[in-house]
Formats: sequence, C-alpha cells, structure tokens
Amino acid sequence: MSNNDTWQRVHPASPFVHGWLAIVGLLYIYWQNTDELSFAERFAGDRLLWTLGLAGAALLVVLAFYFLSWYFTRYKLTESHVYVNSGTLFRSQKQARIDKVQGIDIAQPLVARLLGLAELRFDVADSSESVLRLAFLSKADAHALRQLILERANSGTPSEARVLTDPADPNQADPNPATLPLMAKVPIGRLLASLFLQLPIVIGTLACLTMVILWLTGVQGIIAGVLPVLLSFGSWFYKQLNQGWNYTASAMDTGMRISYGLADTRQHSIPAGRVQAICVTAPLLWRLVGWYKVEVNVLGTKNDDADNFQVLPVGDFESVTRIMGILLPDLGVINQREVLATAVSTGYEHGFIGSPSRAKSLSPGAWKHQGFLVTDTTVISRYGWLARTATFVPHSRVQGMEFSQGPWEQKRKLAGVRLFCAGGNIIGHLHQVDAQIAAEFTLAQATRQVER
Amino acid sequence: MTATTPWSPNSFTPAHPSYFKVKLTTWAITWGVILLVTLIPGVLLLAGVSTPLWLAIAAPVLALVIALLILRILRRQVLALGYLEREEDFIVRSGVMWRKQVVIPYGRMQYVEVNSGPLERRFGLCQLTLNTAGAGATAHVYGLPAEQGQALRERLVSAGEEKML
Repeated sequence: MSNNDTWQRVHPASPFVHGWLAIVGLLYIYWQNTDELSFAERFAGDRLLWTLGLAGAALLVVLAFYFLSWYFTRYKLTESHVYVNSGTLFRSQKQARIDKVQGIDIAQPLVARLLGLAELRFDVADSSESVLRLAFLSKADAHALRQLILERANSGTPSEARVLTDPADPNQADPNPATLPLMAKVPIGRLLASLFLQLPIVIGTLACLTMVILWLTGVQGIIAGVLPVLLSFGSWFYKQLNQGWNYTASAMDTGMRISYGLADTRQHSIPAGRVQAICVTAPLLWRLVGWYKVEVNVLGTKNDDADNFQVLPVGDFESVTRIMGILLPDLGVINQREVLATAVSTGYEHGFIGSPSRAKSLSPGAWKHQGFLVTDTTVISRYGWLARTATFVPHSRVQGMEFSQGPWEQKRKLAGVRLFCAGGNIIGHLHQVDAQIAAEFTLAQATRQVER
Repeated sequence: MTATTPWSPNSFTPAHPSYFKVKLTTWAITWGVILLVTLIPGVLLLAGVSTPLWLAIAAPVLALVIALLILRILRRQVLALGYLEREEDFIVRSGVMWRKQVVIPYGRMQYVEVNSGPLERRFGLCQLTLNTAGAGATAHVYGLPAEQGQALRERLVSAGEEKML
C-alpha cells in the first residue's frame, strides 16, 4: 500500500446538497408560524430584529453542522484501494479494493446538478448493500477520478470481475440468433396455463369473484374494493406475461441467450461463467403437471426490481436439464440427470441427506422435501413447502456461510446453514438438518469453498 | 449442555468486557424512554383525564417485564460474541437464543469498515464490519478495543489481498 497519496476533502458545498431540506424546513416552519402577519409586518420594528437574530442563530447552527460534516468527510486513492471516511458523531471508515470495483456510476441528484456537483458510486458488487459512495465532487473532478480509478483497475491483475469497460453490451443483437441451437421455448398456451396455476392468481381471482357475488347480492360499495385488487394483480400478471411471452432460450459458446417480450422484444445473454447460483422452483399447482421455473443469480445484470433473473419462466424437466447443462455444465457427479431428477423432486437417492423426523413438528409440510447433497463442485439444497425449491450453489461461488440455530432447533438438535451468493437473492439453504451433520458440513464446506 | 456448533465457542476471541456497559447503557436509555411513554396513561389518570385503568397499569408492567427479561440475557449475549481468524477465512459468532457462526473467506472480502458511536468511543471501543459481494454475507465484530480494531482491519485487508480468489 503506497502512502504517498494524501487525504482529500470533498467539495465544500456537499453538505448543502444533503441538507438543503433542513433549510427549506426551517423557512417553512417560520412561514407557517407567522401566517397571520402581512408582508410588511414581518419586517417591521422589533420583529425585524428578532427575526434576523433568530435566523442568524439558526443559520450558524446549520452551518456549523455543515462544516463538521464536510470537515470529517475525506477520501484517499492509493494504488490498490479507495478509502472514504465520514461522519461527525458516528464515524465510519470505508474502503474498497480497486480491482474488485465492478463499475463506477456518476450520479447527479437535482440540487447537485444545479451546483455542478456529482456523486461517485462504486459498484463493488451488484448487491445494493456493498455500494461505496463519495459525495460530492465537482463534475470535472468526478470524471477525472473515475477515469483514474478505471485505469488503475484495468492495469491490475486479470480477474473475472473485469467488466469495467463493458465489453459485451447484453442488449446488442447477436449476428443471427436463429442459427443458435434452441434450448427451450414457451408456447403461449403453456405460459397462460402456468400463470393461472399460481396461487397468487388463484387467490386474486377468488377474491374478485367473492366481491362480485357480494355486490350482486346487494352489498353496496364493495365494487370499489375490486378495483385496487384488479390493478395490483393486473400489473403483476402483465409483468409475468411480458417476461414469458414468446420466450426462447438458445445456446451460445459462452452461455445462453434468452429473448422475450410482449410489446418489445428483449434479449439478454447470460455467460455461464457469471452465473453465481441457480434455483429451480416448482409452485404447488405446477407440481401436478410437472413444470418448473428456473432463476439465476448472475453478475452484472442491472435488475430494476427485487425479483431474481428468470432464465425459464415455465418448462418441463427436459428443458430444465438442458438449461442446467449449459449454465452448470459440471454438476460434479457422473449420473448428472438422475441426481438432477432427485434434486427437483423429493427423495433421498444418490446420497441426499434429509431432515430427520424430529423436524416434523417445525415444518410439517416441508420436512420430507428438505435435504441437501454435496457434490465435487456444487452444493444442492432443497427446501420450501408450497413452492418447492432446489438451489444449486457452486463451491467457488459461495461468498459467505452462516450456521444458525434457533431456540426450537436447539431443543431438537437441528440446525441450518445458509450459503450466500453474489448477484441476486438466491441462497443455498440447508434447512433443519441434524445439528451434528450441519456442523460437520460447515467445517468441510469452509475448506471446499476456498480451494483453487 | 454442550452445544453442537462447527467451531467450539472457546476458540473465539471474545468481545471486550466493557462492551457489556455499552449494551447496558443502550438498554437503559431505550427502555427508559419506552417506560416513560407507557407511564403517560397513568399521568393522565392522575391529572383527572378519563383513561382506562387497565391501560395505566398494564402498559408499564408489560414494558418492565420485557425490559427485565432482556436484561437477564444481556450479559450472556455479550459473552456469546467473538471472532476467530483462521488460515483462509474469518469467523464470527453471536447469539444466545439464535446462535450463529458466520464464515467469510478472506478472498471474498470486498471492504472492511470500522465504525464507532459516541457511546462506544467513551469506552474506547469500535465495531468492525466485513462486507462481501453477497447480500447476506456480512460479518459484524462488536466490542473491539479501538487499537485492536484498527490492527484487525489492517490484518484483514492484507489477508484479503494475499488470499484473493
């Protein structure tokens, strides 16, 4: 770590951008409390003196806070790290490794734009928590600093997090998608059927029907309740429909490409190397027809909502195996297909370890489904009651692991282990397994996940 | 009763004993305020405003009972905190009722944060947070003496560079 780089302060106007609301708030309170006065009365005689005095005092307090906030906010750029210190009372010191920075955004909130300031946001991963912010710099400084950090990042060691220059824009069309081998396609009939076989839709439809019946039998005003329900379900339904409409998935050299869309066709390419975790879900009613949904955690996708990235809206086991074959080619077992079949259903073949019957009283509906299997490359875990889920987390993708045991689990000598991954909400979860087995798994997994 | 956990509780570096005072002060302030709020119906009653009698009695009693229950496990909560530096990863433990041991490999660390609130600074303590790319994979170390916290941060940062995956 080179120490020749010095600490620098942010732009002096920065606190104002954060705190302008305070000033507006004070003005508003003043205005409210002197409502009954005319304009001339506000600024006459004794009142003028008081007003000016109080305003000056308030201004001094606010300025003092601003100054302290500015004074304690400092940043430093070294060869390998960015450091940001902030906080007057609650001091925080943050740092980010430059070679792990995945992208730097320059953001300009309204007030900052008016003042010609900009905020740097370091996307050190894609989970919202790990964002480092540096606010505010003058716009020119922000661009220069961004350029400097990007240069340092690119001159560093090669790593898979090398996306700063954005080599492949996922929205750019490939030469000819039609020539790529087709992996899965969702017919419109199946998509509609799959949507209506989901519990939220069933419940929503039932609720609407009940209200209509009540209305017809003479309960007044109930129809007003239908509208918001319809609206919220409508938007959910449209989103699902849009994501599955005309859905095709095809194989590429590096991964897969999907396209879908109702109004406009969207295309995404998903490089297999950027997939962090895979989740195969079978909602309650889909189990009757043997359908599954496949979602992934993938680095570098800017998802506007909290949902996971969907790579198969609905499909049978054959489609699931094909997609898994691309995204996770090496499951770490010889009989890949059979293991996959056990993983997405219920059973203890191929070495799956389930919850002991002691877990029955804690999860009466799910304990028979819960279980896990460790292969050479991956941890497969099954959990869930109504919607049964199987998650696949490769050892090398585990960001952190949590062994946990609640009071009811302690009594029954059960424990759980969570495997956290980057790029989305999917986690591996060993739910309510024997405490001894969970502890041994944690110890062994700690070794497995740092193997190179 | 010996609990089944991956790593034995004894192998961890415990939180500094004075962190208990930090927790105790926080507890006293929080529950003091809550108790004051629950006393409002009683005061109103004494002032002659018609207030249900049960509310004036039940609310403060309930607050007091919960506060004392929490106080009972406060010391054990502090004793349950600890961290363990290993060859390849960093482990923190916490919790009495909900026991947890979180494992973060050095190579997956993204940044390390050292924070100290006014109360912690008074006792010369700080807390350290270790962040990764995974949303849930965050390790918190509470009740670290300030110099120990800085030293630990330096060690973690250099281990992260060395063990980068």
